[in-house]
Amino acid sequence: MDLDFTETQDILKKTAREFMARYYPKSLVRELKKDRTGFRDEIWKEMANLGWLGWIIPEGYGGVGGDFMDLIVLFEEMGRACFILPFFSTVMCTLPILSAGTEEQKKEFLPRIAQGEMVLSLALTEPSATYEPWGITTKALADKDGYVIDGTKLFIHDAQVAHCFLCATRTETEGPPEDGITLFLVDAKSPGIGIEVIPTVAHDRQCEVRFDRVRVPRSNVLGEVNKGWDIVEFILQRGAVLKCAEMLGGTEAVLEMTNNYAKERVQFDKPIGSFQAIQHKLAQMLIEVEGLRYLTYEAAWHISAGMPSKLLISMAKTKANEVYQRVCLDGVKIHGAVGFTEELDLSLYFIRTKSSEFALGDGGFHRERIACELEQLQPLFMR
Amino acid sequence: MDFKFGEKEEQLRKEIREFAKEELPPDWSAAMLEEENSDEDWEFAMTMSRKLAKKGWLTMSWPVEYGGKGASLWEQFVYSEEAAYWGIPGVTMGVGGVDWVGPSLMMFGSEELKKKYLPLIASGEPDGVWCTAYSEPNAGSDFANIRTRAVREGDEYIINGQKIWTSAAHRARWCWLAVRTDFNVSKKHQGISVIIVDMKSKGVTVRPLINYAGYHLFNEVFFDDVRVSVTNLVGKENNGWYQLMHSLGFERGSVAGRFYGYNRRILEELIQYTKEKHLFRQKEIRHKLADMAIMIETQRILACETIWKMSKEINPVYEPSRDKVFHDQTAERLAIIGTEILGMYSQMDPLQRKSKWTKLKGCVEALYWLSPGVAIAAGTDEVEMNIIGQFGLNLPKSY
Repeated sequence: MDLDFTETQDILKKTAREFMARYYPKSLVRELKKDRTGFRDEIWKEMANLGWLGWIIPEGYGGVGGDFMDLIVLFEEMGRACFILPFFSTVMCTLPILSAGTEEQKKEFLPRIAQGEMVLSLALTEPSATYEPWGITTKALADKDGYVIDGTKLFIHDAQVAHCFLCATRTETEGPPEDGITLFLVDAKSPGIGIEVIPTVAHDRQCEVRFDRVRVPRSNVLGEVNKGWDIVEFILQRGAVLKCAEMLGGTEAVLEMTNNYAKERVQFDKPIGSFQAIQHKLAQMLIEVEGLRYLTYEAAWHISAGMPSKLLISMAKTKANEVYQRVCLDGVKIHGAVGFTEELDLSLYFIRTKSSEFALGDGGFHRERIACELEQLQPLFMR
Repeated sequence: MDFKFGEKEEQLRKEIREFAKEELPPDWSAAMLEEENSDEDWEFAMTMSRKLAKKGWLTMSWPVEYGGKGASLWEQFVYSEEAAYWGIPGVTMGVGGVDWVGPSLMMFGSEELKKKYLPLIASGEPDGVWCTAYSEPNAGSDFANIRTRAVREGDEYIINGQKIWTSAAHRARWCWLAVRTDFNVSKKHQGISVIIVDMKSKGVTVRPLINYAGYHLFNEVFFDDVRVSVTNLVGKENNGWYQLMHSLGFERGSVAGRFYGYNRRILEELIQYTKEKHLFRQKEIRHKLADMAIMIETQRILACETIWKMSKEINPVYEPSRDKVFHDQTAERLAIIGTEILGMYSQMDPLQRKSKWTKLKGCVEALYWLSPGVAIAAGTDEVEMNIIGQFGLNLPKSY
């Protein structure tokens, strides 16, 4: 067992930390909250220059050919900086193109993603507000030229700046809900697409995306017709663990700033961090954050090594949901009244508790998946 | 990164599993770890100690020259984990023989002490069983407050005083004793020494303390003019505090694998029970088991991180305290959820594990009744939290 980062990962971490300090100060996070696009082209281009946008894309398609595990390092740093540009969305769509795309699709999309010319957005969830397969009701009907998509997608991150959607549709209504799902790569400029940013508290550019008789050529099917759920599952698992890394970075930042505050803030002639009521709360935060860290790394490593990882991923996401919220709530309270203000940077992390929790599955969703795995488990002492 | 154990560790894991299947009774379970409680369990534990000694596992962490195998920290972790999962008793040689008395002797003991005591521990015989006597009625978390005194008279120390919460004193042949050898000190951490006492010495009295659930685990130990050769002093006189910090480090470092293995077994017992009783239909129970599985995996991976640091010769400072607190929180939650799943049956007495109405051989109830004690032993959670605050977060001392 070895918990060291590779040299590449160490450098990536350092570069990312410096990048965020330089290009992504908290003043910009606040500015972007009010910005309709939530996008900054010069930052995106710089990320492309550093190779991040094509990090997991093979060199043959203009990428870096890095490892999935490297992304964890990157997302942890992004979470730490409250980074909000559509990197997460784009990666979630890049991964399935890599694993399920045709050669033509790869050639069409991957080099452009790597060069920073293309933002992708995952159009998965709907007003049904679930990641369960029954939640997908947007229809795609086949005709002689291709497909026609009709339906509404909701909580779609970064749709307002996306060049292309990866859209999950229902192409068959018979049979169990996970059957009959088909994924399409849909040009965002297609006639019939209506996009509206919805007012989330985190100002994190989630959208309602309406598909009104949107025509898509047959060649834009990702994977196989009616077999799209396997790809959704693939995205869910990888996306969940990347979200964990992002949330982990957030909890690290919150713990750090709260710990610093507890050392500086003096009441009753002593730093409040010298009071056990405060100190033990911080100690508990540290325990939880470190637990989340290694659980996340473990899940990601299993993905990267091609080992069974479903159980670990769901464990990590359930833990992340709990820890992120707990650390933010305690962080706010330890700060006292100033913790209640917008001007405190902690607020930028706190307002994301819900958007992180419900991205890629909440606690109930993942506990259910864990329970299913446990039910299948044959205890060691029975073997 | 690499989250796999090496081939060597996996091979060892296999061997321990085979050993457990061959040597333990067919209906054995982790519930039976409280080996010092009953004569019957103690006798079985000692037969296992001998077998473990023969295998070379009992003191595998020790260097070869002292009767060990020089096993890696990872091998030790796997051994502790598996031994706890299968409920192999007799792994510790009382309280601390293997885990800290031996290692502390290697670090601070004279050649004479090493030659005498290390082979005894490594033999797995009753003459190698220890108890550790630190706490006193007025020295609990504030351990430096100890007042049991050893006064030198010629070639002997004369020991007077009282120890309390001394686990396994009623089984031990030797006592790893913290005493005060100097009362004229400016700070109470000074003037402390460690002395080995033969529990058969004249003037040693062991009085049982029975816990609320009827277990006889710990004792009061009284020392009345007990005479001990000065050669039984471990390390330097008045250097005890420094030495004991190392011993406590060994203690905290040794338990992580064991704690994990024990919790993991009980979780799997509960999963099997839930399946057999068709309780997986209940969402509440499903989700509680899921939460437990998360906590226990977190416990494992945190323990691994500590060992990984040690294996890289990074001295862990707050990590063992972190792991201990997290274990205590995990065990308490497991005990509560476990008893909820057993429902009315969780009222059974875990010491009467042969009753036909006792479920899972009482392992859940045993955890429920014993976990508060574990949370107090070797540093209460509050003391551990202080360590995490001070050394993990660099916060000012809070007490």
